[in-house]
Amino acid sequence: MTTVLLVDDEKLILRSLEKTLLRAGFDVITAADCKSGSETFSQNAEVINIAVLDLNMPGFDGMPKTGAGLDLLADLKKQKDSLPVVILTAYDEVTKAKDAVSGGASAFFVKGREQGLVELIQKILQVAG
Amino acid sequence: MTNDIHRHATLLKAAARAAKNITTILDPYDLLQRTVDIICDEFGFYYAGVFFLDDAKQYAVLKAGRGEAGREMINAGHRLAVGGNSMIGASIANRQGRIALDVGAEAVFFENPHLPKTRSEMALPLVVGEDVIGALTVQSTEEAAFHDEDIAALQTMADQLAIAIQNSNLHRQAERRSRLLKAANRVGKEVTSILDLEKLLPQTVNIICESYGLYYAGVFLVDEAGEYAVLRAGYGKAGKAMVADGHKLKIGTDSMIGACIAMSEARIALDVGEERVHFKNPHLPHTRSEMALPLIYGGRVLGAVTIQSSEERAFSEDDITTLTTMAEHLAVAINNAHLIEELKDAHDEILRNKVFEALTTASTEAIHWIGNKTLPISLTVSRLREEIADGKVDLESLKEDLDMISESAAQIIQVKEQLIGAVREQRPRPILFADVVQTAAHQRDISSSMLKVKIDHAAAYVIADSTQLVRAVGNILQNAAEAGAKSIKITARETEERGILEIMVDDDGSGMDRDVMEKAWSPFFTTRGVDHHGLGLPAAMHVISQAQGRIAIVSEKDKGSTVAIYLPKGIVNDEPLKAGNVKNLLLIDDNDDWANHFSELLKNTNVKLTQTTDLKKLPVADLVLVDENITAIPLADVLTAIAKAGLISKTVILTSAINPERVTQFMHDGMKDVSVKPYSAGEVSELLK
Repeated sequence: MTTVLLVDDEKLILRSLEKTLLRAGFDVITAADCKSGSETFSQNAEVINIAVLDLNMPGFDGMPKTGAGLDLLADLKKQKDSLPVVILTAYDEVTKAKDAVSGGASAFFVKGREQGLVELIQKILQVAG
Repeated sequence: MTNDIHRHATLLKAAARAAKNITTILDPYDLLQRTVDIICDEFGFYYAGVFFLDDAKQYAVLKAGRGEAGREMINAGHRLAVGGNSMIGASIANRQGRIALDVGAEAVFFENPHLPKTRSEMALPLVVGEDVIGALTVQSTEEAAFHDEDIAALQTMADQLAIAIQNSNLHRQAERRSRLLKAANRVGKEVTSILDLEKLLPQTVNIICESYGLYYAGVFLVDEAGEYAVLRAGYGKAGKAMVADGHKLKIGTDSMIGACIAMSEARIALDVGEERVHFKNPHLPHTRSEMALPLIYGGRVLGAVTIQSSEERAFSEDDITTLTTMAEHLAVAINNAHLIEELKDAHDEILRNKVFEALTTASTEAIHWIGNKTLPISLTVSRLREEIADGKVDLESLKEDLDMISESAAQIIQVKEQLIGAVREQRPRPILFADVVQTAAHQRDISSSMLKVKIDHAAAYVIADSTQLVRAVGNILQNAAEAGAKSIKITARETEERGILEIMVDDDGSGMDRDVMEKAWSPFFTTRGVDHHGLGLPAAMHVISQAQGRIAIVSEKDKGSTVAIYLPKGIVNDEPLKAGNVKNLLLIDDNDDWANHFSELLKNTNVKLTQTTDLKKLPVADLVLVDENITAIPLADVLTAIAKAGLISKTVILTSAINPERVTQFMHDGMKDVSVKPYSAGEVSELLK
């Protein structure tokens, strides 16, 4: 079974995405900010196959931060360099997308195309696999 | 012989009386005309006239003359050449009195058609020290009216007249100097207090012309290229016409203004008709003297003032000194106005950038926020469609999905209310601030034990729309409560600023650091997580601004925040209350500030007011008033009790913050009306009507 770590501070989005991923056959572990995302990963590093992180959410200090997802990306990569990570955002931002990729993200995904997200996760895992 | 002695004695006495009278006159405008009248009256002469030497000392010009003949000659510009063949001309040239006893036979007599009856004339020089300043003529209808010995007697009087003229001139000069200094002070004082150039310059020309009694004044400023002096303000119609025509003068030597600016020095033309550099201006045909003064600040010539008089040689040394001082004041004022304009431009530029930045930030935040709130809806709907298509609908999961859709929609509606609510129709009026606080606290579930409210008597009323102010105060109280405040202190007092009240909301919550505080006014910025929209403070600021007030926040991390609000003070008119047909009034409300105030307003009327929160037995009433925000008992219980007592159709729901949805609901329930709470006798009269 493939396990996805899903980190987003919008609880309704988190739950809705979780349900979509569950329905697609993934196991899902959720967290609501950078700090809990990092802790959740370190506690479940063995089982987590991929992380999907929101770009803008509370940072490690608990305060809202633009681009906090990139901080968590760096943290997770430090914990497990081979972990595939998808960054989620509400904006089409080329600069942020480049930052994400150069930070080691496998993909930068704009929210609103969730069916595409399921396919993207499957594709990334296939390549990594 | 005896007759001659008697006549001479009479003449001496008359001369003494005339001299005494003349020397008491200080008013220069009055002196000469009164002198000729006194002389004629005292001596019984047919005519007397006073001539002054012109500046060139070539002519004696008539300045005062007895009767109609005198007026006509003055109007005609009557003058006699010094040393010519007139009695006056000869007496001035020789500095001696002259007599013509039989004027018909006197060769030197000027045959004046205005004075046909003259048969004797005496001309006496007016001498002050070494200078002859003019001459006095006295004329009689009698032949041989004067003797040689009379010359000495009348010359004494003429000498007194000359001294009186000199005194009068000195007095006039002193008076003029004092007036000029006052005018210069006035100009200096008034112009330096005006900071708007468009007001400063027209006011300056008005002040100059009115204070100095001048024909015209205008202010030119150097254009950006430094090529032209452009007229920015001119006195009267001529000035306005020239400003409208875009009147400008090239900087250089072609005009007095141009030369004055080019050379950075004052230019004076005392007879402008003969002044080479004077601009022949068709708008100012009566100009006879002109002075151009440079406006210099910090070594830079900003422009020049033109000052024009319809009199020749109008400007004395005193004028030049005081007007130069005035020009210095004006240059400082213009420089200040320029600085203010530059500051304003810089401020506008910053504001434009800030507004753009704020709009961009707000729009981005708003898009992000709305996107995040709508996303669960589209996600859930899409997943449900798939589940339905697959025939795998789980009821528990479906219920959860519907809840998510509902919650997302509710958050979006809440934002709409914050955004649109603050710009709803405004009805500013004096409102009881204590009532606003109570309603806001009640609406936001803030416990009254948490609030410490201290409102000075003089700060009881503010001018605002009660619905909007309840919203703004509610947002602030909610922020404090969400910041974990245990206590919220609210004070209201008068400030030193006339008609402005200061309201402070202090909380002991978690406070904000500097970074968060700077973003606190940005829409959609929140530190309280995704369930908050971050519109509370921006909406409060909008409400306070619309009420002509201002709001500021000071906060310290872990110590708390203080929100300072400044609002116009409300004044409630002490008008009589008209109760209409209402005799028995039932008020269902807490014993709070508004209820006490309402009860006070009804004190001297025939209305019997019963206030209660006991619903067991409601008394009979013509009108029932219910406070929507009653705290002692639930509103629902009140409405049930009213319905049970059959009083629904007599009930008016009162609220500080009216809401269209709730109004519709109450009206559907059969209430007589829903209204904003009255705060003045006039508003209560309107309610009872």
